[in-house]
Amino acid sequence: MTTFGFLSLLLALAVTLWSSYASASSDYHEQLFLQPLPQSSLLASFNFRSNTSQQAFDNQHFRYFPRALGQILQHAHTKELHLRFTTGRWDAESWGPRPWGGSKEGGTGVELWAWIDAPDDDEAFGKWIALTQSLSGLFCASLNFVDSTRTTRPVVSFEPTGDHQDVDGLHLLHGTLPGEVVCTENLTPFLKLLPCKGKAGISTLFDGHKLFDAAWQSMSVDMRPICTSDGDCVVQIEQTIDMVLDVERSKRPRSNPIPRPLSNELLACDTSKPYNSEDTCFPLEKGADAAWSISEVFGRTLTGVCPLTGSDGTQEHSVCLRVPHEKQVFITEGSTEIKKEDGFTRCFDPAPVQPFDLSIPEQTVDIPVPREEPILYAERTIVGHGQERGGMRIIFGNPSNTTAVDFILFESLPWFLRPYIHTLQATITGRDGIPTEIAASDLVTSTFYRPAIDRERGTQLEIALSVPAASTVTLTYDFEKAILRYTEYPPDANRGFNVAPAVIRILNVENSAPVYIRSTSLLLPLPTPDFSMPYNVIILTSTVIALAFGTVFNILVRRVVSVDEAAALGAQSLKGRLLGKLVAIRDRFRSKETKVE
Amino acid sequence: MISFFRLLQAFCLLLLVSFVSAEHTSNWAVLVSTSRFWFNYRHLANVLSLYRTVKRLGIPDSQIILMLPDDMACNPRNAFPGTVYSNADRAVDLYGDNIEVDYRGYEVTVENFIRLLTDRLDEDVPRSKRLGSDAGSNVLVYMTGHGGDQFLKFQDAEEIGAWDLADAFGQMWEKKRYHELLFMIDTCQANTMYTHFYSPNIVATGSSELDQSSYSHHADNDVGVAVIDRWTYYVLEFLETQVTSANSKLNLGDLFDSYDESKIHSQPGVRWDLFPGGEQEGRLRTVVDFFGNVQNVEVENANATEPGSLKEDLAEIARLAEKWRKRGEEYSAILGNSTQSHSENKHSSSVGLAPKKTVGPTKMAEDNSWGKRLVGLSVVGACTAVWVAGSVLTSLFSGRWEAEPEWPSRGCAL
Repeated sequence: MTTFGFLSLLLALAVTLWSSYASASSDYHEQLFLQPLPQSSLLASFNFRSNTSQQAFDNQHFRYFPRALGQILQHAHTKELHLRFTTGRWDAESWGPRPWGGSKEGGTGVELWAWIDAPDDDEAFGKWIALTQSLSGLFCASLNFVDSTRTTRPVVSFEPTGDHQDVDGLHLLHGTLPGEVVCTENLTPFLKLLPCKGKAGISTLFDGHKLFDAAWQSMSVDMRPICTSDGDCVVQIEQTIDMVLDVERSKRPRSNPIPRPLSNELLACDTSKPYNSEDTCFPLEKGADAAWSISEVFGRTLTGVCPLTGSDGTQEHSVCLRVPHEKQVFITEGSTEIKKEDGFTRCFDPAPVQPFDLSIPEQTVDIPVPREEPILYAERTIVGHGQERGGMRIIFGNPSNTTAVDFILFESLPWFLRPYIHTLQATITGRDGIPTEIAASDLVTSTFYRPAIDRERGTQLEIALSVPAASTVTLTYDFEKAILRYTEYPPDANRGFNVAPAVIRILNVENSAPVYIRSTSLLLPLPTPDFSMPYNVIILTSTVIALAFGTVFNILVRRVVSVDEAAALGAQSLKGRLLGKLVAIRDRFRSKETKVE
Repeated sequence: MISFFRLLQAFCLLLLVSFVSAEHTSNWAVLVSTSRFWFNYRHLANVLSLYRTVKRLGIPDSQIILMLPDDMACNPRNAFPGTVYSNADRAVDLYGDNIEVDYRGYEVTVENFIRLLTDRLDEDVPRSKRLGSDAGSNVLVYMTGHGGDQFLKFQDAEEIGAWDLADAFGQMWEKKRYHELLFMIDTCQANTMYTHFYSPNIVATGSSELDQSSYSHHADNDVGVAVIDRWTYYVLEFLETQVTSANSKLNLGDLFDSYDESKIHSQPGVRWDLFPGGEQEGRLRTVVDFFGNVQNVEVENANATEPGSLKEDLAEIARLAEKWRKRGEEYSAILGNSTQSHSENKHSSSVGLAPKKTVGPTKMAEDNSWGKRLVGLSVVGACTAVWVAGSVLTSLFSGRWEAEPEWPSRGCAL
């Protein structure tokens, strides 16, 4: 009993000591930012961030940093990691600039880039493969398909966001899987990486049924070292989930999500229309913003606060909402509301254990939240027709009337799409709408290019270019489609082949945070054979061979003879020979007899 | 009195040990759907129902290998995002909030499946994608998809044959990767798939005989497709209603007796002959022996020195280590530079290997195009000169020997 007591005392002491040590160098923050967007959408931005001292990380003393991920990163000598899972399309025309300046989103599917510490390129690639394989197991995604054909080494598109001591020894590798599905099995491990694991705090709102019903969603994991000037380093892990929910759609009950037509009495009709009658209705648009609440939109309430937040003393508000201050917002009792000075942001501190809900009733407020214009609009499409050739068209729109936009376009194309870089052409259209063809070299300031090798690596193209103020630039180039080998086609070859989104990095931004835009992914239809053809060919060939062989064999081994001759031929065998002798003897007798007669 | 208890205790322990040696020490489940495309929703629902059942009965995610070739939950056609239902009443969401899919999409191939069973995987492959079973593991293998006489289609692109499967299990047995194995398959002509099995300790069951189809059970009008297959539906009905806890005493005999051909619309089959003791012994295995999770511990006498014991193994490993160390020393002695330091050795070896230079992206430069044009022009000029000289010579020679046949031109004409 005494020994046990002593031991427990020691243990408690050790824990206290360790936690005081750990809290001095590690902290954890989480925040949810809600912003209603036009077209009855709601942007929900979740951010989870924690710091661990480099020393604790190296010694595998994990407190907030997930052990599963930490060990993988150490095994693969990865110094900085960025992993993205994205679905849907960000509608920049109606929603404006992207959250976090696009730096926390990825292209459709899965995108991964990392800085790996290795003495040379081959070794870096070996570690990269180890990293992708391990991450594929951790995140239930097919990241192991990131092989040499899907790996690129961007030169100017990405820069390390962390503070690294030996930047020259680091190798940047980038891989995308544009066709990868993002679903609940990816959210499950993502939640398990969080210190509160979706049991308390804002992470309790995550529900795969709502998240994967969103118009656009992006999950990200970023790990980077951050150092102060006096050499103290921390390893930071930041996880974010951004999603744009359609409020109307999210409010549908889960048991009956299929919208059914409203009955006539419930329809609000525009009676000013001349055709408005008993059976004809033009639905009236609602003037007021629709009512919504957290419990309706997310399907559950927020449960308390993650007790690990703000252990370094800097308490941040865990829920913030961007609506005009004039708007009425109801919150659960026991939680506090703080209105910020900008007139549009208010933050809430939920009570520690109680469920927290926030609801906005239907109301009309004339003061709109100021909407920023994105720095650049970009869209990319595949043009052309036929099975052999095609073209890529990328349209950049600069909404600014005063400043030109400098940016880098990064394309990572699969090997079966063979671009002709010499066909790169540019058309510039001003506000007057008259297109002018200009030499691409007038806009392009520099190009980094690595041509593809069939079945070994894809094309990597980085173009630095500039779009003048108040104009739209259309960039086009032609490509050729390769013909794949029979076994290289996926099971759903007729769906088309995914081409990774282009990454656009905008250069001349005042603040230091990088701004990124990603185009949507593309489907490239390749010449696809009729997969039953080989079987037809095999069957037909077999038939022809059987017919030909049979005939020839018959001709070779059979002789067509008359019945009389057949008997003589039968004399070849022993029995036949004996029979033949007998017949011959009998014939002789008979012939003698006939001669006698 | 106390001595009696001691005796009883010892006896119980003895009994336990003797039982334990015949029992398994872990449970693994390999659940495979082999069909892609939305209209095969029911095959994924089959597999996910089984996944929920084995999870309910205690097998952890780390010991379940789930292979889903397509995404139904987040499919744009799915009116119920993030869910998969196996019943039109939509009472249980099989996808739920906590699911780990180990192989998905294009990863579900015959090659990966056989590699998984036989553990012929790359060293980088993570543990969650490996079947970590051993000689003490009971393994449940459930497969569903579209099949035929002795084959099962994977993703409508390739097939696994009955012999392939039999050989994979054969190799598993040789590698001591299972203790007992329950093989279940729901596909058309399913029973033909297990006809070639030859390794022991396998109980196999399938949904339909040769030349019989396996049918779907019912469709959900809002999902828009059939949601579950008949055989799986009735197997699940038994598991859900009868096997309610991990302590269930129901055995495989009960499970197989519950097959009702009038409901399943095909003749399910069971193969017992590979199991030691045949049907009689096999029927006594409980359902949770394969669907549940046990944590029996095999106690090995730590002081035993007979072959195969831990001590023996350790001694053998030590001998091997010593042997390799000696061999390494001899090798370095042969190289004749035993005095050379280790770092120098390493350096020389790295020099010996020609470093493969991977070509990265290069900056495209605007160079002097006139220089290139000049080079091109001179090359063209040289070629023309050669051609002219050749034609002059040819005309000279052909003038001399007109009778000579013109082989080249004939060759071209051919």
